[in-house]
Amino acid sequence: MTRRRWLIHLVLRALGHRKGRTILLLAVLAMASSLATALGIVSSSMERRVAEEVRKYGANLIVIPETARLEIGSGGLDFGVVSEPTYLQQSLVEGALARSGIKAERSFHLRGALHWKDSDLMVEGVDFADIRRLFPWWQLKGTWPTAGEIVVGNDLAASMKLKPGDMMECGGKGQTVKLRVSGIVTSGGEEDGLLFVALPELQKALELEGQITLVRLMVTAGGDSLKKSAVSLQQLMPGAKVSEVRQTARTSEGLLAKVKLLMLMVTAVVLVSAGSSVAGTMSTTVLERGKEIGLMKAMGGTRVEVMLIFCGEAAMLGVLGGIAGYLCGTIIAQFITRTVFSASADIIPWIACVSLGVSLFLALLGSFGPMISVFKLDPVRSLRGE
Amino acid sequence: MLFRILKNSFLKRPKAVFLIFLSITMGAAVATAFLGIAGEVSHKMALELRSYGANILIEPSAAEGGGFLREEDLPKIKTVFWKYNITGFAPYLFGIAEFSSGGKRERGVVSGTWFAKQLEVPGEDVSTQGVKGIAPWWEVQGRWPEDADEAIIGAALAKRLNVASGGEVTALVKGRRQLFRIVGIVTTGGYEEEQLFAPLVTVQTLLLQTGKVSRVQVSALTVPMDDFGKKDPSTMSKDEYEKWYCTAYVTSVAKNVEEVMAGSRAKPVWQIASAEGALLNKLNSVMLLLTVLALGASATSVSTSLMASMAERSKEIALMKAVGADRFQISSIFIGETLIISVVGGIVGYFIGDQLAEVISRTVFNSTIASPLWLFPTAIISAFVVAIAGSIAPLRRALLVEPVKVLKG
Repeated sequence: MTRRRWLIHLVLRALGHRKGRTILLLAVLAMASSLATALGIVSSSMERRVAEEVRKYGANLIVIPETARLEIGSGGLDFGVVSEPTYLQQSLVEGALARSGIKAERSFHLRGALHWKDSDLMVEGVDFADIRRLFPWWQLKGTWPTAGEIVVGNDLAASMKLKPGDMMECGGKGQTVKLRVSGIVTSGGEEDGLLFVALPELQKALELEGQITLVRLMVTAGGDSLKKSAVSLQQLMPGAKVSEVRQTARTSEGLLAKVKLLMLMVTAVVLVSAGSSVAGTMSTTVLERGKEIGLMKAMGGTRVEVMLIFCGEAAMLGVLGGIAGYLCGTIIAQFITRTVFSASADIIPWIACVSLGVSLFLALLGSFGPMISVFKLDPVRSLRGE
Repeated sequence: MLFRILKNSFLKRPKAVFLIFLSITMGAAVATAFLGIAGEVSHKMALELRSYGANILIEPSAAEGGGFLREEDLPKIKTVFWKYNITGFAPYLFGIAEFSSGGKRERGVVSGTWFAKQLEVPGEDVSTQGVKGIAPWWEVQGRWPEDADEAIIGAALAKRLNVASGGEVTALVKGRRQLFRIVGIVTTGGYEEEQLFAPLVTVQTLLLQTGKVSRVQVSALTVPMDDFGKKDPSTMSKDEYEKWYCTAYVTSVAKNVEEVMAGSRAKPVWQIASAEGALLNKLNSVMLLLTVLALGASATSVSTSLMASMAERSKEIALMKAVGADRFQISSIFIGETLIISVVGGIVGYFIGDQLAEVISRTVFNSTIASPLWLFPTAIISAFVVAIAGSIAPLRRALLVEPVKVLKG
């Protein structure tokens, strides 16, 4: 039997002989590393999930014609048109967005006025599919419109006495269109006073084919990259003005930073405390093996060799615990993200290294500390049981 | 006798005792820290989310924008049932004005508002209300106005008028003039950039609308809407209405504010309110799950470390049995040991955990946290319970040993 095989044999037998203890240590190490895995996965996917949630606050970038005035915003404070309307070419904006390579959800809007009965109504042309996806705060009574149907803002509906099912014949610059009211929208914002028509239909009615007045963008980006996106988009669209909606953009940034920091602190606290407790348990088991160490020394084992055996044992426990912990932790993380965000957690390969590392580190740390004191033992005295 | 055994058991094996102590302390610290912040986090996060801006808008109930609200009603907002949930509000009065500066002329909106007004309401603490509090995302280059003739101007309007801070703008409304000293340029990325903001009183005089405001934005802490909250209040029974009114839904707070403002209607700004509710729900449940996870982990680590230390003491137990100790005596020795370590560990752990919660709250939310008092006994008792739970299984096994076998080796 070579020396190496003998060493391995010794380590395996030492672990196998003390089954209860081995299982206990494995369980503890697995628990610590599964904590590390679960917290790691949850906090790294937290950022993305919260960023997604935060998008429900609305667009963070808007694109308007350069000469136009800003008339958007939330909070329901808006004023009628003060200046002559100006337009953007829809195809131009789409081209610029495609070229910039920015990942963004977009919705195109065209503002205009349609004549109905004796008054001019403010009308917005939108793509209802985009609206449903990107404006989750719209509260719609009735149904989402199909072709030839429109949605009316709550306040406008109240003052004009409109209800779902009513027919309206509206006159535009180009042609007169017959529209059917399919739903009433309440948002608490400027939408309450508007009439919403499908974008192509409004463009036809107003003779503004391919023109839009406003693009709302929801860019998935944090920190500086939002500003960079704004700048790069600006360069691609000379006739337009790209501005950052500070209400959503800046606030979200601050919030994301806070959530990240909170998760980091929580992870650190849990890991340090669970870690020290696990290392403590490891130490307890090594401390009690003074006799074994004494015997090994008496038989002529050098310090390095004895150390090797014990470290080998600890490393083996650490690796096994790490693997078990990674599996357990992934399941826990999966459970958390599924219950809270109803989405599966990201599979992050480097987390496996972290969980292995945590488990190995704790195992070695736990056995290393007490071993130093055990080595100082005189083999004769420890064997005699003094 | 019992006391002497306990004393020596601690003094003769300090390392082993220290390790158990460490594990119990850490477990208690994590439990304290988590229980301490878990409750606060949802409140702190809700406050944090208020920086997205006002979630309730009060406007005149007359549908066609002609009406006004009365400024004298504003302090009543701080006296309503939900007054402690209202974190801030700001009134606005708008008018179209002809701005001129250095030969340039522009039509635009002049808004009178409160920037940071000290509001004194009889029977309430003095509070600061205004735009500065409810719209923290406004970036003002320069400073906020303090005097009656000072104003801040939106970036887009400033660009067209070609004024910088330190400049002057004259507003002309129906033949009346008002000179504003510009002390700041405001950037928001929204409609605010097209306006000039001046103190409410000045604009009221300029527009001849003394004591009137056209809109009020209210920022209120609310609970997320659930199925009950979505019900139409007008179809509710009396009891249901009571329950709805006494829950801080955004709709019920809006209703509450509406009642004190004469001739008004308050509507929730759903863009803000619904996103906030969803986000708060999710953050709360993450915190809850993490707390359960952390408590579970600390309980496991405490009980395993006790198991580890207990299991190797079968020789000691055998010896005690051999000299005539009964099960009760042996159990009381070991449980006494555990009791002492866990009580001390629980106390130390409580203080460490308290500090940890404080540190977390300070770094993340810049605010202090008050750990609830009930946490103190809870920390100690739970440390003890967990420790006993961990030592019972190995103790029972150890009590079954045959002294002769063990002592022979």
